[in-house]
Amino acid sequence: MFKNEEMEINLGPQHPSTHGVLRVKLRLDGETITHCRPMIGYLHRGVEKICENQTFFQGQVWTDRMDYCSAVANNLGWAEANEKLFGITVPRRAQYIRTMLNEFNRLASHLIWLATHALDIGAMTVFLYAFREREDILDMNEAFCGSRLTTTAFRIGGLREDLPPGFEKLVKKFLAKFPTCLEEYENLLSENRIWKKRTIGVAKLSAEDAIALGVTGPVLRAAGVPYDIRKAFPYAAYAEMDFEVPTKTEADTYARYLVRMEEMRQSARIIQQCMDGMPEGPVMAKIPKILKAEVNEVYHATEAPKGELGYYLVGEKGSGNPYRFHVRAPGFINLQSLPKMAEGGLIADIVAAIGTLDIVLGEIDR
Amino acid sequence: MNKLLRTLIPFDIAKGLSITGKHFCKVFFTANRRKVPFHIVSEYPEVVAKVQPRYRGRLTLLKDEQGEIKCVCCLACEKICPTQVITIEKGKKEGRKMPFPVRYDFEMERCIFCEFCVESCGFDSIILNHQFELATYNREDFSIGMEGLAHNMYEPSPVGKFSVADD
Repeated sequence: MFKNEEMEINLGPQHPSTHGVLRVKLRLDGETITHCRPMIGYLHRGVEKICENQTFFQGQVWTDRMDYCSAVANNLGWAEANEKLFGITVPRRAQYIRTMLNEFNRLASHLIWLATHALDIGAMTVFLYAFREREDILDMNEAFCGSRLTTTAFRIGGLREDLPPGFEKLVKKFLAKFPTCLEEYENLLSENRIWKKRTIGVAKLSAEDAIALGVTGPVLRAAGVPYDIRKAFPYAAYAEMDFEVPTKTEADTYARYLVRMEEMRQSARIIQQCMDGMPEGPVMAKIPKILKAEVNEVYHATEAPKGELGYYLVGEKGSGNPYRFHVRAPGFINLQSLPKMAEGGLIADIVAAIGTLDIVLGEIDR
Repeated sequence: MNKLLRTLIPFDIAKGLSITGKHFCKVFFTANRRKVPFHIVSEYPEVVAKVQPRYRGRLTLLKDEQGEIKCVCCLACEKICPTQVITIEKGKKEGRKMPFPVRYDFEMERCIFCEFCVESCGFDSIILNHQFELATYNREDFSIGMEGLAHNMYEPSPVGKFSVADD
């Protein structure tokens, strides 16, 4: 009956392995995907338009809710874009604390990626172990700013409060045990034959294609392009940090896994350096109570855990809210490489392809 | 030859099983002696999770030593709120120089717990308490005001239940 006939199916929007409400339109020839189109927009809230109707100060709470797995990184981008717009210099201690919290957030985001990616492919144990470590990071978020997920951690011009007493102890405790935890995940996955068969050679994206599609973050670095905004255009206190940008040339799912694991090690190194070289001083710059913009536009890009997160802000003279606000979300642009990865492959491998892109639909649909 | 041995004998699977087995033994032999760290699994309704001192819970109006409401209706919190959940009505009370809030309404269903209101308050008259069990059966219960049967704005954190974490 179905001989020589292509079948069209929808993967999602309520599929557990599409990480939210992504719908993928697939055309199948047997088990091979011949056509793949991601359909988005199920979580659209109009964050950009909402921010245009709110003051610069209030806008930060909406950035929490874009990529909810890495809210601190989004806050950092928002705060720095505004500081660029108003020409504010942030105290050095605030820069260090921001860098440290941002790296903790990268760890949390990568841990949740590892957990869900492994769960999608079939390794269930890692899911529980990775969430155990993520819990410690969320506790630190709670100790610093009072909230675990939607942090609203920074303010334009610095931080609201200094680090709470006893924070160093939490960081030390975490850094002491984290390398062993990473080894545990690698022992469970790196040499596992099922994991290797499901990931090696799956969802390939060459460096040329990745650059042509504008893909950034670990997906690009796994294709052999050492592009990291923390190194290329340093922001916060990254210019003073000593870390490496891991790259791999295989450009498949396994290479992306190795790159992200190595990135977690480097993040732990950066946190250690931040703790060692933490300067004393104030954490908030002197800023006017009501921020009024000039006619000016800025684009500020930061390296969020998923890739290049850019904020484009246009100010209007004498206005307290942005005239135009646009987000270059890494997830949105990385998702456009899904057809390149999945077409020609098997239908079972599209789950690995979605997992390896590390998408969060809150950020894609905004 | 080495590769053939590797395919025949499942070293990798044994390696994975040894890790899960280690964790299983750790929990299995120490569970009764309370050596398992608290946060990995806590039996929630009986053992309530401890929150940090800066935890952002429900909005609370504070009173001073005389039992007077500290709020003076400067409307800073109402203006800064990103979701417009606070409504204040100015009024006067006998024997009080400062304005007095006749009505202080808080729509908790829209609140995003960002603590901007507390930050903007120049009189330290509001805080976010440590309460996180905020679910109710009726929608009306989320509209919290100065008068209310089940909940009102003065309700502090329940003592002893939502205590602050030690370490």
